[in-house]
Amino acid sequence: MTAAASQDFVGELAQRHLDAAYSLGRWLLGNEHDAADAVHDAFLRATKSADTYAGGNARAWWLAIVRNCCLARLDTRSRDRRNVSIDDTTGGSDRAEQLLPHSEAGDVEDRIDHAQRQALIVHHLNNLPIEFREALILREIEELSYREIAEVLQTPIGTVMSRLARGRALLQKALAGTAAGKVTHGP
Amino acid sequence: MDHKTAQANLPLYFDGELDRAASREFEAHLDECADCRAALIGLDDLRRTLRDDAPRHTAPDLLRKRIEKLAAAQASRSESIPARRSHRPPRWLAYVASTLLAFVAGGVATSLWQGSPRNAETAEAPAGTQLARDLFASHWRALAATSPVDVVSTDRHTVKPWFEGKVGVAPVVRDFAEQGFVLVGGRIDYVGSARVPVLVYRHGQHLIDVFVLAENATANLAASSAQNGYRLEPLRLGDQPAAIVTDMDAAELEKFVRLFAS
Ligand SMILES: [Zn+2]
Repeated sequence: MTAAASQDFVGELAQRHLDAAYSLGRWLLGNEHDAADAVHDAFLRATKSADTYAGGNARAWWLAIVRNCCLARLDTRSRDRRNVSIDDTTGGSDRAEQLLPHSEAGDVEDRIDHAQRQALIVHHLNNLPIEFREALILREIEELSYREIAEVLQTPIGTVMSRLARGRALLQKALAGTAAGKVTHGP
Repeated sequence: MDHKTAQANLPLYFDGELDRAASREFEAHLDECADCRAALIGLDDLRRTLRDDAPRHTAPDLLRKRIEKLAAAQASRSESIPARRSHRPPRWLAYVASTLLAFVAGGVATSLWQGSPRNAETAEAPAGTQLARDLFASHWRALAATSPVDVVSTDRHTVKPWFEGKVGVAPVVRDFAEQGFVLVGGRIDYVGSARVPVLVYRHGQHLIDVFVLAENATANLAASSAQNGYRLEPLRLGDQPAAIVTDMDAAELEKFVRLFAS
């Protein structure tokens, strides 16, 4: 690829998979600002290392760079613990339930119900260790194949499979826990 | 398949990673094992919960604009660098490039470019051959991408202005849904380093790319060619040269080409 073609390639690739990149950033970093900055970093890094793209799955190559930029950011964040805002605003399902009033209107209840379920799943996902969370997001939300996930995480496929299995088991257990909790706290 | 093997295969089956024969065996076990059925339903519930309830984070407009700007800046910078064509790659490298380009699509490595020995001898392929290569490569790249289209539309009135806004070219867009060739949308793709509009059609399982080319582009493009089961057919779209790349068979392709002439 010529220099011009590889720059164009990265530009096109990044824009085509911008949502996936940003979503991964959100799930790894927990807030809009850091996720957007990480994607920005990733774009610059990708244009510099366009030559390292050796064919193969371009989306996985791009997401691997995004992930590396996210991890770098997480690293600096843990070294200087500034105030970091995380999406999980509910502080757990119990509080979410208390905060949300009962209502007669069906669609309002539906919306509350949805907000509640969303808060729950965000809470449980954020509670998962990052290696299980990222594998689950890439598989279930982004719908990547094992091979693509392995490329993004730079691990063998066997590791992808064991992380997916463990992540799923942990999330199922957590969800079962809150579902049981709901029953006992119910009216 | 015994229960233990089935348990090990269950996530693979669920994730669509098991080959057809193994899937059949797994399904046979599934029919008689309630435990495996329950486990599968459990995985499916979890997936549905994640897909229905987890928020979808789409890139904020501000970020999209930032990246668009950066990409445009990069593109113009690299365009201003004069093309370096001073020295020719070693002969063996040209040969390797012309005979094999490993392209991984969906986990299946497909070897492409069984270039003709004539091309290998001359070391530099004629321009027409290069164009054919670039067209095939573009098509395969699109097949490997998540979506072969940037704008999804079955309405030609949407596709045409979209191109006009993106590349300043408004190709003739026609829909042949009634004849079995459905317009699914369009994208901007690279043919070599040129950005060109591509109209994307679907015919049954086949994806069809129609590349709209520059005025002088098809002058030295061979009448038609084939690579690894994919066919390339030049044609004219109104007064613009274009080329079809698809894996349809010759008869279907001919039918499609005739529709454009009508
Ligand atoms: Zn079983």
